Amino acid sequence: MNNTRTRLIGAAVLVSLGALGVTGCGADASSTSASDGAPNGQGKTLDVLVGANTNKADQFKAWQTHIAEAFKKQTGADLKFETFANANDELSKIQTSVVAGQGPDVYAVGTTFTPTAYSTDAFVKFDSKMWSKVGGRDRFVPATLGISGPDAQNEVGVPFTSRPYVLAYNTEMFKNAGLDKPANTWDGLLDQAKKLTTGSTYGFATGYADNYTPWKFAWAMANQSGNPLVDGKTARIDDPTVLKAYETYFGWLTKDKVVNPAAVGWNDTQAAADFASGKSAMMLMTTASSKVTFDASPVKGKYAYAVMPTVPPGQSSAPSGGQPVSSIISGDNLVIAKYSENQDLAAAYIKLLTSDDEQINYNKLFGDLPTNASAAKKVQDADPSLSPIIDSASKAKTTPFTGAWGDIQLALTNVVVQARPDLGNGSINETTLKASLAKAQKDAQASLDRASANK
Amino acid sequence: MSITVKKDAALRRAPGLGGQPSAKRRRTVSEQNRPLWMLTPGALLIGLIIIVPLILGIYIAMLQLDQYTIRKWISAPFVGLNNFIEAFTSTDLVHAFGNSVGFSVIATLITVPIGVYAALATQNAYRGRSLVRSLFLVPYVLPSFVVGSFWRTMLQHDGIVNKVLTGLGLPAGQWLTGPASFWVLILVEVWAAWPFIYLMALSGLQSVDQEVHEAAAIDGALWWTKLRYVIFPYLRGPVALACLIATLHHMNNFSLAFLLFGVPAPFDVQVLPTLVYSMSFTSLRFGMGAAMALISLLLIALPLYFYLKAVRLDTGTDAGGKK
Repeated sequence: MNNTRTRLIGAAVLVSLGALGVTGCGADASSTSASDGAPNGQGKTLDVLVGANTNKADQFKAWQTHIAEAFKKQTGADLKFETFANANDELSKIQTSVVAGQGPDVYAVGTTFTPTAYSTDAFVKFDSKMWSKVGGRDRFVPATLGISGPDAQNEVGVPFTSRPYVLAYNTEMFKNAGLDKPANTWDGLLDQAKKLTTGSTYGFATGYADNYTPWKFAWAMANQSGNPLVDGKTARIDDPTVLKAYETYFGWLTKDKVVNPAAVGWNDTQAAADFASGKSAMMLMTTASSKVTFDASPVKGKYAYAVMPTVPPGQSSAPSGGQPVSSIISGDNLVIAKYSENQDLAAAYIKLLTSDDEQINYNKLFGDLPTNASAAKKVQDADPSLSPIIDSASKAKTTPFTGAWGDIQLALTNVVVQARPDLGNGSINETTLKASLAKAQKDAQASLDRASANK
Repeated sequence: MSITVKKDAALRRAPGLGGQPSAKRRRTVSEQNRPLWMLTPGALLIGLIIIVPLILGIYIAMLQLDQYTIRKWISAPFVGLNNFIEAFTSTDLVHAFGNSVGFSVIATLITVPIGVYAALATQNAYRGRSLVRSLFLVPYVLPSFVVGSFWRTMLQHDGIVNKVLTGLGLPAGQWLTGPASFWVLILVEVWAAWPFIYLMALSGLQSVDQEVHEAAAIDGALWWTKLRYVIFPYLRGPVALACLIATLHHMNNFSLAFLLFGVPAPFDVQVLPTLVYSMSFTSLRFGMGAAMALISLLLIALPLYFYLKAVRLDTGTDAGGKK
């Protein structure tokens, strides 16, 4: 038993050492043939990584089978799906593949992760020839291309799905409170939330302990006040606009008391469950994917989506220099690994996934919006209730395209994590918050410096 | 580390290998003509499993290896000790080290009495003893993932713990953030780890001969005297070893802190493993992460080395076990 184990460990070590040794030379595999029609992939297998959709596991399985069949019919090649459960999972997969110079041919990566992926220099840049292989750059909704690369000449990501952020509101509660629809300023929205907070129901549902959402509030409000957070090579986190953003976001719970105090420990799933059970009037910073949860809950038929405010806190109209953003450009991009020996097949796969029919099919199954312009138009025409979400997509802005963004996002999240004890005690100490922002500024700047040193 | 030290010592003592043609003391029969070459596969494995990765780790710690350079990591810029200096000067390393040590030592101190008491309680045969013994092992055999997730759910702001507390008229607490989080980590670790001490104490107790019990009874020893002067000496060896291993386990426990508090961790509960993790895998600074991991290895290994020397656990003899 012990011997077997030791031998196994030894073998594993040898294999991994071998893999490490290969890395020096294994990285740059150039593309194969360059035909423009569907490549012949007879006898080949394309390895693709996609995010597992655990909410709709059955549909996800059916979708995989369907895509594999369609791909086989077009190219003759087999499709092998690998899935990842969360961002960390995907990150480890990318790291090992990049180091080993082998792994999936095509990855689906989140939009905010695209700059990090780009900075590894491990993914294929799209020139006009590459774009035409995936169906042409002009087949996409222009706004979705905003986070494909640092500029139009250096794009690595092909938009696959779009998931802009919106808010969901309980139409019944709004009606009962004599309100028509959510306001377009944060101050106005807060006033509405105060009106909607009665007894055990609260105006806003939001997850302060979520790992992904809180920084988006700070980003949106700062941008609306004219601060993009990254200005060239300089971080602008230690800034009055950011302070104001965090104070507003925390103030909903501590000062205005329009959020359930338990939200201090909630992630977004818990916040959505609260909204779904009718205990809060608005769910902030959510996407169309929440439709699945809401439609299977007591609020079914009693809620609607709306664009989140685009006027920063403390203002009644957009200030000059401010950007009326409602959401980050959110969704998934497809990237092709440089080491892939099936570049043409990879392009054919992307072409299939971003085609009219497949985009509409994907939207029907999972609720994510098409990035293909004509598909997006058809989806919008077919379902008018989606118009606020499509409207938000048009008001979306890209997060700064820098390899440092991952760190900056982490620093912005950390401000919320470290403020949670104060938040739980019901008051935010301004000095502590300022110190926290100063630390975030330092970390973000250090990361930006490394990014520009590596350019 | 200690393994290499021991091995060197063994090699020096070994006849024919250490360059000592005639040993001063007489070699026993079992020591003569020992086929030491048969250890070669073992040595090779140790080299592959421990030495080579360690050297690689040291090398990586001196590289500026991050998302920008990982694709061609062999040619990542060499920065010498910069990562180490930066780890000390501009990260939370020292703070995390303090947290880690405090957490591990306190957790061990709490688990020892619980484990020893549980072992004593299940020493004498009674009806249902085997059931109790099995139940005691439940926390230990549950995977960390399950333990962490359960406790996290229970300790939520609107979770069952706070509901019970408020039901009893006590104030609800914030368990997963702020200063309380440190004690929560200790509590959950103690809950999951005390059966290890229990097991080791139990094995110590079982080495107590029946005659010793009888002799103590004939001498008229009362329970406390018997416990203090007869039983405890037997336990000293195994429990000291258990303490050492348990403390190191606590120190290296990544999953529990990660599951309970996530990354970025609240400041009060930033421990070495989660700090190294977030440096390596959320900030993607692999070189820096390796440097931090090495520093923590040294910080842990140094006291461990002196402790091992002091208590001589490696000699295999201890007071209680001698007959």
